[in-house]
Amino acid sequence: MRRHRGRRVPRVSAVALYGALTGLSILWLIPVTTVFMTSVRPMSEIRRGWWVLGGASFTLGNYATAWNQGLSSYVVNSFIITGLSVLATVVFGALGAYAFACLRFRFRAPLYFLLITTMIVPVQIILVPLLPWFQDLGLRQGTWQPFLGIALVHTGFGLGWAIFMMGAFFAEVPREMTEAGQIDGAGHLALFRQVVLPLAVPGIVSFAIVDFVFVWNDLLIALTLLGQDHQPLTVGLANLQSPHLAQQDIVSAGAIMAIAPPLLLFVALNRYYVRGLFAGAVKG
Amino acid sequence: MTSRRRARSPWADRTAPYLFLLPALAVFAVFYLWPAANTLVSSLFRWSVLSPWNPVDPASWDFVGLNNYARVLESGRFWNDVLNTAIWFVVFPLATTVCSLAIAIMIWTARRGGLLFRTIFLLPMTISLTAAGVLWALVYNPDYGSLSAIVGALGLDRLHVDLGMLQLHLGNWLSDPGRLDLGPLSIRFVNLAVILPAVWALSGFGVVSFTAGLSAIPEEHIEAAEVEGATRLQIVRYVVVPQLRNVLIIVGVVFVIYALRTFDIVWVMTRGGPGTDTETLGVLLWNQALTFLETPQAGEATAVAVLLSAVMVVGAAPYLRQLLEERR
Repeated sequence: MRRHRGRRVPRVSAVALYGALTGLSILWLIPVTTVFMTSVRPMSEIRRGWWVLGGASFTLGNYATAWNQGLSSYVVNSFIITGLSVLATVVFGALGAYAFACLRFRFRAPLYFLLITTMIVPVQIILVPLLPWFQDLGLRQGTWQPFLGIALVHTGFGLGWAIFMMGAFFAEVPREMTEAGQIDGAGHLALFRQVVLPLAVPGIVSFAIVDFVFVWNDLLIALTLLGQDHQPLTVGLANLQSPHLAQQDIVSAGAIMAIAPPLLLFVALNRYYVRGLFAGAVKG
Repeated sequence: MTSRRRARSPWADRTAPYLFLLPALAVFAVFYLWPAANTLVSSLFRWSVLSPWNPVDPASWDFVGLNNYARVLESGRFWNDVLNTAIWFVVFPLATTVCSLAIAIMIWTARRGGLLFRTIFLLPMTISLTAAGVLWALVYNPDYGSLSAIVGALGLDRLHVDLGMLQLHLGNWLSDPGRLDLGPLSIRFVNLAVILPAVWALSGFGVVSFTAGLSAIPEEHIEAAEVEGATRLQIVRYVVVPQLRNVLIIVGVVFVIYALRTFDIVWVMTRGGPGTDTETLGVLLWNQALTFLETPQAGEATAVAVLLSAVMVVGAAPYLRQLLEERR
């Protein structure tokens, strides 16, 4: 029995429904519109209100100023930290997820439980002793050591998610395929690389995107662990954001820079991102 | 299958899982388990981040037992922050869940244009709460913010209400928008001004989850209800919402967890101020240990972290159990 989709709602209600949705959408877009308009207009015009378009001039000068005032190094740091973290989390997480999803071994249940507690326990539980611990490990100073250190902290914290989410995708690989490989005498590493991994690529991409957004957007861990030279864009932005300084033009340009990479990823790979988000909450 | 595998190479089969797990477990142990265990033990010592106690050097120990907990529980600032965190705990999950459920049901009912609307509401999910704080600070700007302009256009910009226990000052969004005094509890509305951006940012997660849940509802259930003459609201109340029970629980727990550990948005928008009006427990422990690294309050900060985590683990235990059972 086929019912024409969309005909469930009578005409008057449909108008009200779409009206409400459109209104809400506009409300939802106000903050982003505000920051975008502020970022492309000179401070003198921002003071009159960004929605005043009479005699408006548009400029990319705020971006140049923000970039030259040091945001460029924050951007670079953000990419280094996020790239390293996602790489380590995906590689270590995929190996671990294979073990949990496809193999049987002792302590499987307690280890799994331990790893996924990170999804519930707040990051604050590791935060305070982490700074002296970094000092002891020699990860506090140096050119690359702090990057490595924070990437490993993100990895340690993200592994629970990684194993939970990628494990769900690995478990969907048909048993017969791995068993056929085993009969052919393939080792586990070969099975993992040649059978499971290729089939689970969409799941891995989904996780990688969610993890990218998560690490790129982290403020708390970076603020705690990193010195001036290694801080990512979120920390730079938080430092710039001050109610007492009238530099909304520069802050807005910085905010757009911080928003752009995850947003572009979201637009380009929307399907994967939504799937990843949802797999994080509910069994896929 | 198992027997065949064992026959093939018992030793390799027994060690393989651990080899696969080794890198993950090594990183997890060094950068999560040890610091977490350290936090537990550290909460029994008096120390500062600059001169920490050292497990292998008893000379550095200043063991105070449960004193840190006692001092935390005695301080007015802690209870002030408990109240603010409690406001988050109640308002944030409720507002975000109701908001995203309403949006998801509207999109689901509308059917056409679903992808466009879903994308719009999902978009803030990719934005960091740091950037969201910057965005909303602009919206809240008392002189040229959009919100002040909207309120001004409605002629409410200088609205001051003073009913004794209830005060309202529209326009001072991030300084003092008012308060509700309930005996010893003073609920400051500035917390709501900080919660709103988080609702905006994270509703997308609810919209995605509820949309997935809604699309799983069998069409026949709704048609049956329609045939029996149920109104649309009745269908939502008696057919749709009960089917969403599991998704509701999961989304609710995720939002509660988020509310309890909140840090970023408060930090960016107010640093916990004015005074400690918006300071939450997550911000408190950062301030205690990490604003001034030499102050010997790191022990108290770890005590706060332990208390916070304990509440969350106890509260989320049923959810964890459900996750584990699903994966068995």
